[in-house]
Amino acid sequence: MGVVHGQEMVLNIGPQHPATHGVLRLQVKTDGEVISEITPYLGYLHRCFEKHCENVSYEQVIPFTDRCDYLASMTMNFGYVVAMEQLMDIKVNDRVQYIRVIMAELQRIASHLLATGVFGLDLGAFTPFLHMLRDRERIIDLFEMTCGARLLYNYMWVGGLSHDLPKGFVEETLRFLDYFEPKVDEFENLLGHNKIFVERTADIGIMPAEVAINYGVTGPNLRASGIKWDLRKDDPYSVYDRLDFEVPIGLGVKGTVGDSWDRFYVRLQEIRQSINIVRQAIDKLPKDGDVHQSMPKKIRPPKGSIYSRTESPRGDLGYYIESDGSDTPYRLKMRSPAFTALGVLNEIAGGWLMSDVLAILGSLDIVLGEIDR
Amino acid sequence: MTVDYIFDFLTSLLDGLIGSDYLLLLAMLIPCLAIFGFITVYALVVIYAELKVSSFIQDKVGPMGQGVGLHAGKWGLLQPVADALKLLLKEDIIPSSADKPLFILAPFMIFIGAFISFVAIPFGDSIIVADLNIGLFYILGVGSIAVLSLILAGWASNNKWSLYGGMRSAAQIVSYEIPAGLSLIVVIMLAGTLNMQDIITYQAGGLFSWIIFDNPFMPVAFVVYFISAIAETNRTPFDLPESESELVAGFATEYSGMRYAFFFLSEYANMFVVSAVAAAGFLGGWHSPIVGIMDSSAWGVFWMISKTGFLIFVMIWLRWTLPRLRVDQLMNVCWKVFLPLALINIFGVAIWTVVFNS
Amino acid sequence: MKRYFTDIYESVTSIVGGMGITLVHLFKARNDNVTLQYPEEKWPRPERNIGFDHSSYNVIRSRLHVDMDDCIGCLKCERACPVDCIKIETEKSPVRGEDLKEIKHKGVTSNGTRKALVVTRFDIDMSECCYCNLCTYPCPEECIFMTGGPNAKKHPIDYEFSEPDRSDLIYRFAKKGAKQGLAELNAKQDAEA
Repeated sequence: MGVVHGQEMVLNIGPQHPATHGVLRLQVKTDGEVISEITPYLGYLHRCFEKHCENVSYEQVIPFTDRCDYLASMTMNFGYVVAMEQLMDIKVNDRVQYIRVIMAELQRIASHLLATGVFGLDLGAFTPFLHMLRDRERIIDLFEMTCGARLLYNYMWVGGLSHDLPKGFVEETLRFLDYFEPKVDEFENLLGHNKIFVERTADIGIMPAEVAINYGVTGPNLRASGIKWDLRKDDPYSVYDRLDFEVPIGLGVKGTVGDSWDRFYVRLQEIRQSINIVRQAIDKLPKDGDVHQSMPKKIRPPKGSIYSRTESPRGDLGYYIESDGSDTPYRLKMRSPAFTALGVLNEIAGGWLMSDVLAILGSLDIVLGEIDR
Repeated sequence: MTVDYIFDFLTSLLDGLIGSDYLLLLAMLIPCLAIFGFITVYALVVIYAELKVSSFIQDKVGPMGQGVGLHAGKWGLLQPVADALKLLLKEDIIPSSADKPLFILAPFMIFIGAFISFVAIPFGDSIIVADLNIGLFYILGVGSIAVLSLILAGWASNNKWSLYGGMRSAAQIVSYEIPAGLSLIVVIMLAGTLNMQDIITYQAGGLFSWIIFDNPFMPVAFVVYFISAIAETNRTPFDLPESESELVAGFATEYSGMRYAFFFLSEYANMFVVSAVAAAGFLGGWHSPIVGIMDSSAWGVFWMISKTGFLIFVMIWLRWTLPRLRVDQLMNVCWKVFLPLALINIFGVAIWTVVFNS
Repeated sequence: MKRYFTDIYESVTSIVGGMGITLVHLFKARNDNVTLQYPEEKWPRPERNIGFDHSSYNVIRSRLHVDMDDCIGCLKCERACPVDCIKIETEKSPVRGEDLKEIKHKGVTSNGTRKALVVTRFDIDMSECCYCNLCTYPCPEECIFMTGGPNAKKHPIDYEFSEPDRSDLIYRFAKKGAKQGLAELNAKQDAEA
């Protein structure tokens, strides 16, 4: 196919643009509809998270971790408390661990629902997005019942949880899962196998495994490139080693391994696996156990540092905490999975059409709160 | 209800009082106002339908309310009125770097394109503003004015997104007019006329006399025409010119208030025009599906409106089901699928007519 | 060529299938609906899948409320707040554990703690509050809490507190005129002594 080259034009996508998932500015060089170079500009949502943490005590950091990845607050809490417990050498009881896993997996479902739904919205399919929001609403209701908040939970605390499960939570969760499982299939039929959707995503924005590893991409984006890497399996924390689940990887069913459709489908499969994990965790949930049992009276970790990573819905979430033995962290660094995912955008989306670039951006599932911190 | 009838009626009523030139002008003005009123009322209804259908498809309730005042009436019935009022009262912004005359001209031009198409649409066996002998050709012709005004809007806004939208719409509408026109040629071949009323009269005699059931090629022609028509009206899955997740709002990015409302209104008016052409050309127009039942002139209006309304519903239904195509895929579908299909149809219908109908 | 026809076939089947799904939703919209018609309906509506009964919540994060009769002025909530939206000032009570009728100060909390301090200022800026709920845990007298839910006995739920002016969102819980009244009281005592 012959290509006519014209004059290049610089176009700013964002910071106010419907498809940038927050306040992201992409400066792109375009030749007609073809985009040759993408430069992301960050910092519109920078809130000095890391510096701020140096001035607040360890338990006060948790509400701020909520606000980094506001679509997966539970897993953000989870990563932080796992790091703190390793630093302070705290063992928490099984009930706490299982409740944490239930919450984290419900959160993963909620986050992936939004990710896949918004991906559809980026491609112009409005209805699947609202179906996904409808089901996410019910998960949020479950969280609200537990800790009173709908989005920013501050639920997991160092050495325990803020509240035990409310009465009726287990029944409501099981009822939700029964209701929800057929809805995933329906969603897959409505959007995932739609021919227009497949044409828009299959073979588009292919991220080879090599590129993904070189850029440090993690989470569903890496798994879609065909690499079985999931910290819940490969570096188990909490009680994930006692649960039986599979790690879905991209197989290139509709196109090539690592294309946008694979990234979408891996997330959909992970929703199914999370449903499975929640069911198992509810089965194994110990009846008794005080959720405040191992909570230290005063959080003052010994001098030292820790780097701990967990699997958030967006990938490897790392916390580096340096303690000087005082009440406040000396340094706190967060490794953001969405940041690396955004970094690879120019590599995989350069040379595609305008519509494709925004579709690829949607398929990477970035959250600007976490990128800018 | 042609202009001639009104002219004759007015002449008998006001003969001698006013000069016949003025009477002719008056006779032309009355149907114009009638069409304008019809488009406005129809737009309100279809906006409400779109809100409600989309909401129900998405498991929402849509606009709701218990009474007038802060609420939008019972079941939100006043919502489209409120929307229209909001658009009317909004500040009218013209960007300082825009090409002002063209910027102002574009929304009116697109509306005129939609508006004058209504002239040749038959609402009943005698209810048509002007029963042109080239009715179908006329509708296709004036329908193309839309593309001109969309390019104008995109260019005059002096905004990169608008320019993208304008260029996309130009390519899209011009391309899709070809399969749409070719599928309508089949209808003309069967009916042997370009006159809208004659095409409908050809389909008299119940459901199976409709052109869509005339021969096995016709359903395909109907589908090709209908999909091309959706593309011509810039609706999802072909809403590339204004695709909100890519181009912000495409050619309409810089428009606000009343000017934006005109784009909106003409989109809905165009939906009616293409659906009415499909209903008249393929679905028997104002004929009842069963001979002898509800086939008086008055019922004719009902049949025409309900057939058109059903097609508009299908458009709304499609919009809230499907994702959007990409520019090159849109062109692929047009040139590689619809165009061959339409040509094969013409060929097939020609042979069929020669073999079976003679 | 085969690809061409399978593409057309797949397009038609998947689009018709998708339209079938949306058509079912069109007629059964009310089944899974989670919309709350807000001013008329209020959460929770369990029969409409919106929220649960208030008694089954662990806590509802609505508005912070302080029961001043129980507050001993220990400043624990002020220290726990990560955004510093709680401002407390205290002064020493002239008589420990005794009521001061002049400034409506209660000497003993409902838990039986004898107060040594008079709280002269207890401001919570709800426009700054991040609803993290951290202030309510350290409180030894459980006098600062989120309204509603399990705390409905203490204070009915209140989550509709928008104000036209930001300064109206600063809730002043301390008894009015406590500072002035206490100063007068101390001056009177000094004069008597």
